[in-house]
Amino acid sequence: MSAFIGYLLNGLAVGCAIALIASGLVTIYRVTGVVNFAQGTFAVVAGLCTSSLLGLGVPHGVSEVAAVLVAALAGLLTGLAATGKRDTTPLSSLIITLGVGVLAYAVEIVLWGDQPRSAPGLAGSVTIAGARVQTQHLLVISVTAATFVLLVLFFGRTYLGKALTACASNPYAARVIGIDTRLMGLLAFALGGLLGGIAGVLVTPLRPISFDTDVTLIVNGFAAAVFGGLTRPAVALGGALLLGVAETMAAGYGYGSHQLEVALGLMLVVMVVQASRRSTIHQEAV
Amino acid sequence: MKRLAGGLLIAAVTLALPAVLDDSSLAVYILLGLAAMVTVGVSLLMGYAGQVSLGQGAFYAIGAYTAALLALNGVPPLIGLIAAPVAAAAFALVIGTPLLRLRGHHLAFATLAMQLILLSLAGQLDVTGGDIGLQAIPQFGIGSFEAGSASAYAYLTWAGLALVMLVTHNVITSRPGRALRALATSETAAASAGIPVGRYKLVVFALSAAFAGLAGGIYCFYTGYVAPGSFPVLISIQYIVMAVVGGLGTIWGAVVGATAITLLVQGLDRVASLPGMPSYAPSVLSYAVYALVLILVVLFLPRGLLPTFTRARWRLFSGRRADLEYK
Repeated sequence: MSAFIGYLLNGLAVGCAIALIASGLVTIYRVTGVVNFAQGTFAVVAGLCTSSLLGLGVPHGVSEVAAVLVAALAGLLTGLAATGKRDTTPLSSLIITLGVGVLAYAVEIVLWGDQPRSAPGLAGSVTIAGARVQTQHLLVISVTAATFVLLVLFFGRTYLGKALTACASNPYAARVIGIDTRLMGLLAFALGGLLGGIAGVLVTPLRPISFDTDVTLIVNGFAAAVFGGLTRPAVALGGALLLGVAETMAAGYGYGSHQLEVALGLMLVVMVVQASRRSTIHQEAV
Repeated sequence: MKRLAGGLLIAAVTLALPAVLDDSSLAVYILLGLAAMVTVGVSLLMGYAGQVSLGQGAFYAIGAYTAALLALNGVPPLIGLIAAPVAAAAFALVIGTPLLRLRGHHLAFATLAMQLILLSLAGQLDVTGGDIGLQAIPQFGIGSFEAGSASAYAYLTWAGLALVMLVTHNVITSRPGRALRALATSETAAASAGIPVGRYKLVVFALSAAFAGLAGGIYCFYTGYVAPGSFPVLISIQYIVMAVVGGLGTIWGAVVGATAITLLVQGLDRVASLPGMPSYAPSVLSYAVYALVLILVVLFLPRGLLPTFTRARWRLFSGRRADLEYK
């Protein structure tokens, strides 16, 4: 039983990191219609930045916040490349974000080398219901919860958040009432970078990050986001937690080597089922 | 007439090159031909059927593993080479039936997932030799003739490429080819015009998989070993870059794109391995080239190199618009 609770909390922490990546994907997709392939890259950039800053002797807290801001900047730059030019189609934008992800490989190898790096997180562990849980896991869960609460407040209560939601639900109407949809798109990318950055900063102490970790992160994030059809953050959060717990349980109970296949297979099934319930006409109209 | 002369010139150069190139240039020449073979399929799939596959490397891997396993079990290499595209196409038909219900980014991620799953399986199964892969694959040969030299593989590769281009040309200019162009624009409109959308998409998917499988088959005989590490996700992205750079939906564009990217990366590789350059320079430069070329071409030359230049030349010399040729 205690092992089960251990795996559960562990899995929730993994799921939280996936949820942050997925929420970044959803934010960007809702506002701009672009699936951001470079979403995992933001997490990698933030993670590598933290490890460097901490290595330089910058205190905890400052380095994490700085790393997250760097990721937000990376998000903004990605947005400029992907949507900055007029009449870029969403599919071209997807290919551009793919290019940005590969470009980031080059930059990351120059700056940080190609070996995995880690960063010290919260040390120690606590005992909950007989299960030893690393404090870092609890930190991941609580920071993610706080982030999601802030996101809900931001989208529901602030003018800027409502403007973003307006762009998501009807870009034409948003333009009519004077909202600059391109600016909002860039803002969405920056926000996506921020969310990816938070995920990276939280994950780096748990598992070392290298330049090509982004593929795993983006695939998991996309798998979670696809549960909610890429547009519903709450469903994406649920999907991410499910995915995290399922993967950790699979690894914990001895199916560790098939973790990736389980996650990817689940994603494929969800997508195919969703697609068969939706008509082609509807998909082409969007 | 001009077209025929151009074709003959290209054929002559292609045939003459293996005789004059040294071994290291021949290796580039062969890999270039193999990449072009896969890229023709990607270009067909993206340009005509309007579908993005980020998993073309998986079909390449299936072809390579099929040919390697057969050859290692004593089956004549020629049969292995024929089985490679057949196995890849069969796999594409099976996997494509559910996957091709997806469109756009969903399909892109689904094909990427397929490649990741296959690579992970190939790294774990005993049949495929795990992470170490399959080694000591016999040389390619027909009857008593054995392809021992690199130039033999060069001829084999470019013969394969010619076959792939011929098949693609015939598909494009046929009635199904026009149907494919219609469904890339709007599946709904195509379906209402009586085009069996699902079946045609599946056939193109299988065809592009077969091209990749054939390239993979030749690759395994040429290098003599296959391992999961030979087929990273980046290889699939590389084919997309080549297809986009050359011009989607044009056969020669795929060859131009593959040539341009391969030569650029090779040239930079030479620069990067000069004394005094850091050890990470080759990989950094190739990542940077793929990325920058891809982004710049998508943004500023969305039609790709070949169609853009053809248009410019038409405008210069005849004042006519070349749009007609590509519409």
